Amino acid sequence: MGKSSLSAVALCCCLTSRNYLRILPLPTYNEYSLHCVAVVVIRCRRLFARLDARRCLKDIEPRVFPDNGGPDHGEVVEVYGAEGTGKTELLYHLLCRCVLPKETGGLEVDVVFVDTDYSLDMSRLVSILDSLSTCSTSAGSDEAVLRSCLSRLLVVHCSSSSQLLLTLHFLETTLSSRPSVALLLIDSISAFYWSDSSEGGASLSKREEKLSKCSELLGRLLRDYRITIFASCRTIRRSSSGSSSCVEMDRPYLCRPWQCLVTHRLLCSKREADTEQMRHPVFSIHTSSSSWTGTRGSRTSFFKVTDGGVEFL
Amino acid sequence: MVILRVGMCPGLDEDLLGNLRAADVRTVEDLISSDTEELARKCSVSYKALLAIRRVLLAQHAAFPVSGADLYEELLSSTAILSTGNPSLDKLLDSGLYTGEITELSGGPASGKSQVCFGVAVHISHHLKQTVVYVDTTGGLTASRLLQMLRTETSNTDEQMEALQRIHIFHLFDIYAVLDCLYGLCSGGLQQVCVGGGSVKAVIVDSVSALITPLLGGKQSEGMSLMTQVAGVLKTMAKDFNVAALVTNHVSRSGNGEVQPGLGVSWSHVPRTRILLERVESAAASVSHSSLRSATLIKSSRQVPQAAQTVVKTYC
Repeated sequence: MGKSSLSAVALCCCLTSRNYLRILPLPTYNEYSLHCVAVVVIRCRRLFARLDARRCLKDIEPRVFPDNGGPDHGEVVEVYGAEGTGKTELLYHLLCRCVLPKETGGLEVDVVFVDTDYSLDMSRLVSILDSLSTCSTSAGSDEAVLRSCLSRLLVVHCSSSSQLLLTLHFLETTLSSRPSVALLLIDSISAFYWSDSSEGGASLSKREEKLSKCSELLGRLLRDYRITIFASCRTIRRSSSGSSSCVEMDRPYLCRPWQCLVTHRLLCSKREADTEQMRHPVFSIHTSSSSWTGTRGSRTSFFKVTDGGVEFL
Repeated sequence: MVILRVGMCPGLDEDLLGNLRAADVRTVEDLISSDTEELARKCSVSYKALLAIRRVLLAQHAAFPVSGADLYEELLSSTAILSTGNPSLDKLLDSGLYTGEITELSGGPASGKSQVCFGVAVHISHHLKQTVVYVDTTGGLTASRLLQMLRTETSNTDEQMEALQRIHIFHLFDIYAVLDCLYGLCSGGLQQVCVGGGSVKAVIVDSVSALITPLLGGKQSEGMSLMTQVAGVLKTMAKDFNVAALVTNHVSRSGNGEVQPGLGVSWSHVPRTRILLERVESAAASVSHSSLRSATLIKSSRQVPQAAQTVVKTYC
């Protein structure tokens, strides 16, 4: 922009008080300077979005993250696990903690839920919300609390990786207009892995192109709007009987740009069930957090799934 | 991937399209992800016009956010639970098949998967008076078997015929034909099918593993991609049109001899509810065709997976 941006800034300042606009000579008021004003206005909006305090999710769930290691502004949490290891339950639990009002121990922030698998089970979510909100307050009008919680949730369904990319671009306007949005939840980030792989053919960069673009965009959104991202990622290989393959199975397989974004990795697994535990299997989460300076620590926690959601042990 | 074309949105004319191509912008994604300011300079088009085009394209192609409260409202007004006609199976499934979800029956050969599917189809068409779409990929479905089942329900031939008319059968034997059919159903086919009153409430695919298994294996990822496509279209159909999807799957044995549903890890995430059907090997199996099968709930988001076995009686 350079010089033109300077004049645009000047003009922009003029626009703030109406009187000056009339005094301006006509030639200044041409189309190009108007573009610049638009650009500056957009930049300003981004700047304000950056400056205003979005709620930090550091204390979203102290029982999962290591001490003082909760997800900060601009950090990415990846929940990784096979089918039936409690990923969805854990995500719903974290989601409920976000949308619940402060008086019931929630964070009272808005959440955007990007559903790439058509997997969002609203009835399950509602029953978890119900049990979390009723157990901590005796106050009536549960229905009203529930509605207000649900209105803090925005859901988008995506059916292909290109739609995901476009939708993330589209969500930028949502993020800038709603400063109360603090969490972007993607379930799951690995949904289009196979279709992308097949479309990309033999070249690795082509295969990973879409997700790389999404990751770059997410990186920018994280920086500009200081949100936090939670994403689930599914295993794609079954562990065979050998013990060495376990490492193989848990190895991240999504593209590099995404791996670089991830700061917290939650590995979900199911503990070997005894016969008595058959009905209530115990799930474990191994959390490892990293940052620029290296690892920040790790933690393992266990939980059971009950009708009312996750119950930590 | 959507290729940019003339007339996609106002302002996107031949000249601009040529300029965009020259700047290596061919698809909607390219246009959206590139820096609008820079692109405007490169293509000598006004920033404002390009921004307007970008905005229109985004609105056209991006998914629109819906409030959770609205989704809940919709859920309350539209979800139905379809009884399978078998009390013990209904109990396992928390009173039946839920619309908007995929339910899977897995089991080995002769474990009664298809028989359960027939039973569900007959029950929904006869008792609930709703239309059923049945995609048969193995050739195992015959009208005479359905009629035989209907005869045990009613002796009125008119009612039997009506019920049979509400079951729409597609015999399709490869994945491309099935994908074609499912996409067709999604884009208006579902409304066309239900001529005789009652909307389509269930789509049954028996079996989904017969379609996909031949494509898996090897180093190619095409089979996996087609599998995710089938899963995607089934899920979309279930959610958007509020139908219950019922699919059948085979089983395989893991390294330590444990029975597990087929089609691998990537498919295992797809069904919301999964039931494992097995033959009951009882000592009293002196009758050569034992009609007892055990059903075990092995995946559910509503109920604790039940190890308790119930008995499914297939109609023999």
